[in-house]
Amino acid sequence: MNVSSASPRADLTALPVWLRPVTLAVNAVIALACLAQSRAILALPDFGNLGDPVQAFAAMVVLLPVVAAAYFSAGLLLRRPQSSLLVPSLADTRYGLMFFYFLAAALSFVYVIWRSGAFNGFEFLVTGFMQNAWLALVFMAAYVIFWIGSRADSALVRRTGVIVGLVGIGILLLSANFLQGVVDLLSTYRDPGVLIGTISGVVASFLCYAYLTRGVEFGETPQQRQAWQGWLMLSPNILGFMIFFAGPLLLSLYLSFTDDSVGREPQVIWLQNYAHILSFEFKTQPITEPAQRALSFGFRVLASFDVGETRLVWGARDPDFWISLRNTIVFCLMLLPLSIVPALLLSIILNTALPGMKVYRAVFFLPSVAAVVGTAIIWRWLYSPNIGYYNYAITSLITWLNTTFGTSINDPQIAWLTDPNVVLISIVLLAAWQIMGNNTVLFLAGLQGIPRELYEAAMIDGANAWRSFWNVTLPLLRPTMFFVVITVMVTGLQVFNEPYALFPSRPIPIQAQTSVFYLYQQGFFRFQFGYASAIAWFLFLFIFTLTFIQFRLQREDR
Amino acid sequence: MLKARKLVLAVVATATLVAPFVAQAQGEITLRWRTRPDNQAEIDVYTAASQAIDAEWQEVTLVYEPGGSETAGYQDVLISEIEAGTAPDVFWIPGTDIARFAKAGLILNLAELAAADPDFDVNDFYAGPMEFLTTSIEEGVPALWGLPRDVSAFALYYNAELFEEAGLPLPGGDDWTWDRFFEAVDEIASLSPSTFGFGMNAWWANWGYFVNAAGGSFFNEDLTACGLNTEATVVGLEAARQMFAAGTAVPWGTDAEPLFLAGQVGMFMNGRWATPGAIANANFEWNVAPLPVGPSGKATNWLFWGAYVVNAKTAHPAEAWDLVTRLTSAEIQGQIAALGANIPSRQTQDAIDLFLSSLPGSGVNNQAFIDGTTAEDVRSEAPLFNGNWPAIDAAYGQGVTAVFNGSLSAQEFADTICDAVAAEFDS
Repeated sequence: MNVSSASPRADLTALPVWLRPVTLAVNAVIALACLAQSRAILALPDFGNLGDPVQAFAAMVVLLPVVAAAYFSAGLLLRRPQSSLLVPSLADTRYGLMFFYFLAAALSFVYVIWRSGAFNGFEFLVTGFMQNAWLALVFMAAYVIFWIGSRADSALVRRTGVIVGLVGIGILLLSANFLQGVVDLLSTYRDPGVLIGTISGVVASFLCYAYLTRGVEFGETPQQRQAWQGWLMLSPNILGFMIFFAGPLLLSLYLSFTDDSVGREPQVIWLQNYAHILSFEFKTQPITEPAQRALSFGFRVLASFDVGETRLVWGARDPDFWISLRNTIVFCLMLLPLSIVPALLLSIILNTALPGMKVYRAVFFLPSVAAVVGTAIIWRWLYSPNIGYYNYAITSLITWLNTTFGTSINDPQIAWLTDPNVVLISIVLLAAWQIMGNNTVLFLAGLQGIPRELYEAAMIDGANAWRSFWNVTLPLLRPTMFFVVITVMVTGLQVFNEPYALFPSRPIPIQAQTSVFYLYQQGFFRFQFGYASAIAWFLFLFIFTLTFIQFRLQREDR
Repeated sequence: MLKARKLVLAVVATATLVAPFVAQAQGEITLRWRTRPDNQAEIDVYTAASQAIDAEWQEVTLVYEPGGSETAGYQDVLISEIEAGTAPDVFWIPGTDIARFAKAGLILNLAELAAADPDFDVNDFYAGPMEFLTTSIEEGVPALWGLPRDVSAFALYYNAELFEEAGLPLPGGDDWTWDRFFEAVDEIASLSPSTFGFGMNAWWANWGYFVNAAGGSFFNEDLTACGLNTEATVVGLEAARQMFAAGTAVPWGTDAEPLFLAGQVGMFMNGRWATPGAIANANFEWNVAPLPVGPSGKATNWLFWGAYVVNAKTAHPAEAWDLVTRLTSAEIQGQIAALGANIPSRQTQDAIDLFLSSLPGSGVNNQAFIDGTTAEDVRSEAPLFNGNWPAIDAAYGQGVTAVFNGSLSAQEFADTICDAVAAEFDS
């Protein structure tokens, strides 16, 4: 959005006379309120068990509106045509104030909802409605009446449908103690916090609207209007991202440098968590001794190798993390071909004009939209070594082979969820099955973007189906392939749901433990949230590095 | 038409705004409490119990929250809420969690409130859990971390039809020792390739029974160090390992319960909580028997328990204590016990009689569980006040799995496990 200079057509004389003084007064109130709030935060004896640095950071963040209020007030007072470091231009002042008041209104209303306890009330609401869920049938009846009215072009019948719907809403609300809800809503205004929050929200909304509708007076061009409208549309997502993603992300970075545990204030321990992850010890000993004996206190065996009469022992302070990382990498390496190759083949089949392909496209995509927990429970049964269908199918196949061809193949009776050599493969199969549908759709989109003419040209040149696939389809699918590989790899390196749901008992077999599952265990079972955060950031750097290398390779390939 | 739509929109918008406040205005004090029910029947009983207490308690409004689901683990939600400061006033946690919750300052020390309560008598409850619940973490400061909701013990669920088919006497009796037990396992497993003699699930108490019955122990006597570096550990684990190696037991790690319910397992070791499921799903003649006596020569069992505790940040500690005592009253425990899933944590004869009379008509040998809770060598599920139990449990579990899978010998496990977990003990 280019808002760096004011339009020469700006005509501030057309602005209402009250707007500037009211804006300045409101800015002053906001600045004073934020100053007071910042001070109050610093005075708190306990800032949600998050520690002094977070408390100071929060107090600083609350001071940002003070700076913004002063900055935009200066813009309004000095009316500069160009922005500078200390004073914004008039156009920028308007955009800044629009954003400022929009944010103030949104935060005020969120505060009101929180302060009044409305979030908890949603649970009561659902419970109340569910007790009389059958009343929802009235809406269906209302819709049917309305639909009949539309088909018969009868205003009376349509109106009847609307009335039935309204009556249904009324009955449903009354059955869920609507009137009591009104009383309770009003009673929350006895709390000055709710009242002040509501007034702030209303005033900020009003001022935001006042500036929003006065683009002409500030010389706004249609392009500029489109630009802020675009940002306005994006704002819920951006705000959500800042509050629910970027905020926790920053917090976890801070916690990774602390000894944070549940229920107590974290102490900064700088890089100790990272050092714990990366602490190794290499020792040698006679092979007659148990490997653990060679290591110092606090270290456990990560791997050992016998060389002649000597044993090389590799120890780590947290060998389980490295085992889980190895599991994750192996998982990823198996997942990539198993979820990509079948998806590619499937997409080629689904790209044909055979009858019923649309149905099949939906069917193959279904696993991708099914909840992992639900599917994992089904797969748990499929994997049962004694009563599961997979072993039943394998046993049937082997029996058939043995009886038909006289072979003597042993039935392996695979213990899918308990055999240490198989548990990881079991997770991979489930994950590949889940991801494959999504990959198929992506490949299908890529295939449909390949011009028909290229295939026709290849055919004229004498290329058979395989040569067309190898020389036309695959090269042109490279961008899609790259995207699929990256997303599958990142998804694979973050795998959590599958081991969580497939193995209900805790702790799960070490061979099935992935890195994200391991960090979850550190946090929620061992209460070591600081250490879990360090693992999360270590993993982030690992995944980022791998992705970065892939991007570089892709660029060089071009 | 436009007007009508606007009217509808206005009504819906107003309703959306107002509806969350529905049913908010209640009594002076609202207490939230939570437990982890196993099924809808338990949810219904807890809900009814909550409503009954609420009805007779004028000053307090109770809100019962059944916790735990397939997608939101009980523990995960609870920990998140504790960290966010929104956990219920009173909640249930397993016995093994008491120590770390207490040490982390997450639960309230109720000793003072209990001392001022003339109706409270610590001797009303099983001594094992109460010993841990009154363990002090600060010298000279008496402690009471909560009251046990219920207790349970292991028993052997057996398939009487398989015993009959194998020509074996039913489990139990004075000579019910490991010799008879392992013989029965072999005999039943030999009935058909799809039949197992024994099954147990893969968590600490199951393999722990074999170690304990051989005379071993998880920890040293004062629970300050690992105790698995003994010959008894080798004997116990080796005995269990041989069943897995011979294929006579359900493979370690496989959920043995569905197989038992499908009639493919001769004996299945589990707690009282599995009884309602067996009554509902087992279509063969079955019952329960005490666990066999191992080489230690003593009847061995676990005393499982979980406790109601009070959130350290509750705004109403006195009322929360009151609620804990009401929830653990003989009357409420009787209602829960009637479902057949739990044994009352009160060891008064009334409570025991109530349990013995539960599940009338089912023919289940309730006495086997009472025998388990009062076995000669009964080990209470122990919260570890001097160590990191989740870490130790994980290390023990990995080692035992390696033994049962054949990648580590029982002797190697016993030789190395205590060194491996030494750093996890506070001492």
